[in-house]
Amino acid sequence: MEAHEDYVWPRATSELILLPVTGLECVGDRLLAGEGPDVLVYSLDFGGHLRMMKRVQNLLGHYLIHGFRVRPEPNGDLDSEAMVAVFGSKGLRIVKVSWGQGRFRELWRSGLWNMTDWIWDARWLEGNMALALGHNSVVLYDPVVGCMLQEVPCTDRCTLSSACLIGDTWKELTIVAGAVSNQLLVWYPAAALIDNKPVAPDRRVSGHVGVIFSMSYLESKGLLATASEDRSVRVWKVGDLRVPGGRVQNIGHCFGHSARVWQVKLLENYLISAGEDCVCLVWSHEGEILQAFRGHQGRGIRAIAAHERQAWVVTGGDDSGIRLWHLVGRGYPGSGVSALCFKSRSRPGTLKAVTLAGSWRLLAVTDTGALYLYDLEVKCWEQLLEDKRFQSYCLLEAAPGPEGFGLCAMANGEGRVKVVPINTPTAAVDLTLFRGKVHSLSWALRGYEELLLLASGPGGVVACLEISAAPSGKAIFVKERCRYLLPPSKQRWHTCSAFLPPGDFLVCGDRRGSVLLFPSRPALLKDLGVGGKAGAIAGALGAGSSSEGAETASTEWGPVSALPSLHGKQGVTSVTCHGGYVYTTGRDGAYYQLFVRGGQLQPVLRQKSCRGMNWVAGLRMVADGSMVILGFHANEFVVWSPRSHEKLHIVNCGGGHRSWAFSDTEAAMAFAYLKDGDVMLYRALGGCTRPHVILRESLHGREITCVKRVGTITLGPEFEVPSFMQPDHVEPGSEGPGLTDIVITCSEDTTVCVLALPTVTGSAHALTAVCNHISSVRALAVWGIGTPGGPQDPRPGLTAHVVSAGGRAEMHCFSIMVTPDPSTPSRLACHVMHLSSHRLDEYWDRQRNRHRMVKVDPETRYMSLAVCELDRPGLGPLVAAACSDGAVRLFLLQDSGRRLQLLAETFHHKRCVLKVHSFTHEAPNQRRRLFLCSAATDGSLAFWDLTTVLDHGSAALEPPADAGLPYRLGAPCLTLQAHSCGVNSLHTLPTREGHLVASGSEDGSLHVFVLAVEAPELEEAMGGAELVPQLRVLEEYSVPCAHAAHVTGLKILSPSLMVSASIDQRLTFWRLGHGEPTFMNSTVYHVPDVADMDCWPVSPEFGHRCALGGQGLEVYNWYD
Amino acid sequence: MGRTSKDKRDVYYRLAKENGWRARSAFKLLQLDEEFHLFQGVTRAVDLCAAPGSWSQVLSQKIGGQGSGHVVAVDLQAMAPLPGVLQIQGDITQLSTAKEIIQHFEGRPADLVVCDGAPDVTGLHDVDEYMQAQLLLAALNIATHVLKPGGCFVAKIFRGRDVTLIYSQLRVFFSSVLCAKPRSSRNSSIEAFAVCQGYDPPEGFLPDLTKPLLDHSYDPDFNQLDGPTRIIVPFVTCGDLSSYDSDRSYPLDLEDGSEYKYTPPTQPPISPPYQEACTLKKKGRLAKEIRPQDCPISTADTLSQPLAASQRHTLLASEVEDNEMNCSP
Repeated sequence: MEAHEDYVWPRATSELILLPVTGLECVGDRLLAGEGPDVLVYSLDFGGHLRMMKRVQNLLGHYLIHGFRVRPEPNGDLDSEAMVAVFGSKGLRIVKVSWGQGRFRELWRSGLWNMTDWIWDARWLEGNMALALGHNSVVLYDPVVGCMLQEVPCTDRCTLSSACLIGDTWKELTIVAGAVSNQLLVWYPAAALIDNKPVAPDRRVSGHVGVIFSMSYLESKGLLATASEDRSVRVWKVGDLRVPGGRVQNIGHCFGHSARVWQVKLLENYLISAGEDCVCLVWSHEGEILQAFRGHQGRGIRAIAAHERQAWVVTGGDDSGIRLWHLVGRGYPGSGVSALCFKSRSRPGTLKAVTLAGSWRLLAVTDTGALYLYDLEVKCWEQLLEDKRFQSYCLLEAAPGPEGFGLCAMANGEGRVKVVPINTPTAAVDLTLFRGKVHSLSWALRGYEELLLLASGPGGVVACLEISAAPSGKAIFVKERCRYLLPPSKQRWHTCSAFLPPGDFLVCGDRRGSVLLFPSRPALLKDLGVGGKAGAIAGALGAGSSSEGAETASTEWGPVSALPSLHGKQGVTSVTCHGGYVYTTGRDGAYYQLFVRGGQLQPVLRQKSCRGMNWVAGLRMVADGSMVILGFHANEFVVWSPRSHEKLHIVNCGGGHRSWAFSDTEAAMAFAYLKDGDVMLYRALGGCTRPHVILRESLHGREITCVKRVGTITLGPEFEVPSFMQPDHVEPGSEGPGLTDIVITCSEDTTVCVLALPTVTGSAHALTAVCNHISSVRALAVWGIGTPGGPQDPRPGLTAHVVSAGGRAEMHCFSIMVTPDPSTPSRLACHVMHLSSHRLDEYWDRQRNRHRMVKVDPETRYMSLAVCELDRPGLGPLVAAACSDGAVRLFLLQDSGRRLQLLAETFHHKRCVLKVHSFTHEAPNQRRRLFLCSAATDGSLAFWDLTTVLDHGSAALEPPADAGLPYRLGAPCLTLQAHSCGVNSLHTLPTREGHLVASGSEDGSLHVFVLAVEAPELEEAMGGAELVPQLRVLEEYSVPCAHAAHVTGLKILSPSLMVSASIDQRLTFWRLGHGEPTFMNSTVYHVPDVADMDCWPVSPEFGHRCALGGQGLEVYNWYD
Repeated sequence: MGRTSKDKRDVYYRLAKENGWRARSAFKLLQLDEEFHLFQGVTRAVDLCAAPGSWSQVLSQKIGGQGSGHVVAVDLQAMAPLPGVLQIQGDITQLSTAKEIIQHFEGRPADLVVCDGAPDVTGLHDVDEYMQAQLLLAALNIATHVLKPGGCFVAKIFRGRDVTLIYSQLRVFFSSVLCAKPRSSRNSSIEAFAVCQGYDPPEGFLPDLTKPLLDHSYDPDFNQLDGPTRIIVPFVTCGDLSSYDSDRSYPLDLEDGSEYKYTPPTQPPISPPYQEACTLKKKGRLAKEIRPQDCPISTADTLSQPLAASQRHTLLASEVEDNEMNCSP
């Protein structure tokens, strides 16, 4: 492999990196964040907003940043200029920056200095730097010139896992080293009188039973804190460490993390620790936990920083997110639980139900039928009325709306409903609706125009009452508008209701888990002749049950549309309409996004709430446009934000089975519940939200397993993305049209993410995440890419179908639609619709007594997917899946993705199949032929002629009658031993001779060959036999040591150019077409464990883009 | 999922339990031996970073059975005793450990040194790769003290970004360096084994355990960072194709007709670092954050005041009040 003269072409340059945030530092009002070799500079005070100032690229070459040290300035002014030492791995660089007045400029940077060993800590000693190195030595370094002034090793040259340097001069320099023996070694480098003479440790401190990952020294109090693998943080009283021989006393041993502790930081009055459990804990120095910040995902928090003046804690995660938290000491201000002291001699009876009317009025009813009001402002109880008919069984619901509309409703066991105006309880209206128990009550409000009360009676009959107020406000009118009938079930009552804008329909949820759509004015609908059919059905149903329930002669209207048992047996808990969608929550631990099209309810997406929260009780939209989920998690009430994965409020209420109520406004949220015969009230100022800020959204919590580019959207100047960076950042030439690439990624964290990658700003925006999978997602396939308005529509936008597959043999199909949306930072919005899903072992979940049996089937994982588009019109594509149980399976997608069925399979490989790839062969005067190539862990490739197989096997491409017995795919038409072990990448390109096939393997080798598709002789064909073409290998080349590790990404860009990516973190270009592939050049990238790569041409001005996904995401580009 | 799911996901894990190996890695050494005949003529073998002891088990079975064979296992951690294996609980970076090994071989050097050790991975790739390299270099360093010329050294490597630096370091000491991956090692794993044969230290090399062996750095001439010239040693896949596939998910009833029976792990870990934390968690004694409801207020009247954020911690109080910053993401 010798270099060619033109080996500079093409040259890949890094454009965008999303990696774990491994370094954070607050400098005045700036925040430095290290991500890979880049530094992100945030301004924390500009105009009252937090914003990103600049990404300083490639400070550490191929090293990753692990820390920053800002040179202390004698005059203490770091607001305008600073000298920053950036270090990580074995690299060190000094950069001088100017950042006053909101402008960032890099004034100077030193060379990148390479040390002989890992740098665990660095410290400025006047103009020089002291570095603590990997095998317990200290180096004095001149970082400007780049030369080592002195190196002093310790006598104990053990491998370190952390170190901490203390002191401001070489003379007083002290190192605390965390050795692999779990000990702390304190020693003084200046004790070496002769250069290079080893120094013995002054003190050895034992205590931790695991490796020490981080240390922090607080000089003012003489404290040292250590964080360890043993999941604990220890606080040591050390006094002045610069004085040899001092006493070290362990004064605190803090257990609070549920995994290894990565980081610790001592502040004047607090101790902050963060770890693998993704929790950042704030401790007092005495070892109490004052606050816990939860929200990061994945493998933990890697970096922490504190802004003591503003009381901020900043955390950087493995999920590449950066978050800012408000440190408030003990608990959150303005929030807490209080008992409302109901029990009194003047108020007999025990409380049965509680409700909140708006955020400042609380209503409660007792078993004597007395209704009480508690005003949170006045703070006293007041009896509104007493009605003996409502004793023992009474339902109580206040009307919705910010002030609860001033109404509440009660219902009893004899079919009686009472509507009470809170201000004038004497004007209450009573109605007897049923002959039996009222099972449930719910309200539905449309603006301020229409207010309905729904009451469920016996036999699934729901009475719909229309409430209106007299203009005087003193009287109310209650009129029964109509009756609805629920589908039959054992517990046949509704649980919740809401108007569907504009107001022609009501969406209801029932106890059986079904979501139902009723016309809000069925009579009117009938008159118009629209609802005739629905009315007739309802009439028939009504007739069937009239014997038991119907006192009135009126018709009972059935639902016009129903999604039976959407939320499972435990029932629907709430319905909310917002932004054109219907959201429902249920006790199955999920919330659904639905929409109504053509008068029919259609599920769009099922989302899971946070782990362990199986009882989702409600959903609210908050002021910033995001939603929060209410639910019960064991014995706690939780307000959870799906956007930040943060539990915003936790109330230890004892569970959801007791009577409770929730209300929220922008000013405050309130949660009331009954406990020990009293009303307990939790209130938090500021509504549901918390002041914590997401400086940068996180991507995936675990490794990315697959990256696929979907398409490009060109946004016109009206969607100009304001550049958050300095204008000088955008380099000339990179400004193209407003091109944004849409890329989807999937990950071991069980989610699929849709990303927007604009070419102009070099940023990435996560548009949406799909969380349907129960196990890791390993593969994606995309087809049917188009525009929302069809090919003729000039408006920007993108639609596509996506199949995702992964662990537990689970596969999902969904469609995405990306449209312009000026209100978002990316100027795009993505709508996802779930279409279908498939699991090989679905039958198992339906089996009774399965906990007593041993499931013998293999736990199949899908390793790779390929879409094979059929040329027959009207037929959905085939999806080929590589399966870990040794099979290649073919699925048929029909009805534009709404039906996903297993069609055929083969166990040819008998080993874990790692890759599948499909390609079509088109030649003049020949039929278009579909080929599938599969590759397994033994290094073999197999080719299947799908066109022939499908012609023979399943004539009409009908799925097999028995879903458990798929067709056989037969024998492959060609097999080839390409590698000695697993094939991790596979790609093909049609050429003049046939197809160029390339594969890359675990052993670091590449295999490239030309595959010819040869049509049989014509005479044979005349004989009636079918034209079955033969595959033949023409030229075959192997490059044994192309990479030093698995080749996981491979793309043939043209018949003469190929690019490969490997776990050895090299992106390499290969020249093809002149015999053996030859090395052109390679680039070292920063994402470890790259599992997949996708490349695509963007535009002639922009060249190619390439996305690498592994433990992070990196985007490269090169000019053709 | 249940306790059988790991048996299904990983056939070697299950086979190891069924065959009494302490870890599935035993199969890796057996398959390496199939390819390289590592144990031929070996009477004295050292297993570095031996815990939990599966490689020592293999060594004692293959060498200890020959009568004159000696196996020494070294680890920092305590390890459950194994018949026929002499255990040293010590640090491989210490000269005393090397001396102790030689002492057990009655002053004679070892024929084979193996090291299957790996640090507990942190998930940060560069740190993990560095720590693994240091472990390998420490093993190599002690091997220079105990290995006979022409002896063999097998150690685990992570094939990450800088693996070529390890290769170049090993090439200094051995006439043949190969990268081998047994079939029992998963495709998805970046681990492989450096099989170094023919120990031949450079002339004038003096083994010195007081100085750590530092890893090489990229060289613009023969081991480039991003150029065409890199030291990539030949790759060998060990174990024949008929052996079980470690990536494949097998049904519980294997093809050989044997009926599945759940086997508990052979040797559970001895005192892991997280033991105390786990015990505390089990007893519910991990520190918990102070929640508003844990410091209850008896009447609603006190509600409007912020909760008694203890006055002892006044560090940031005044600034928090002034902070009118409009924090938007």
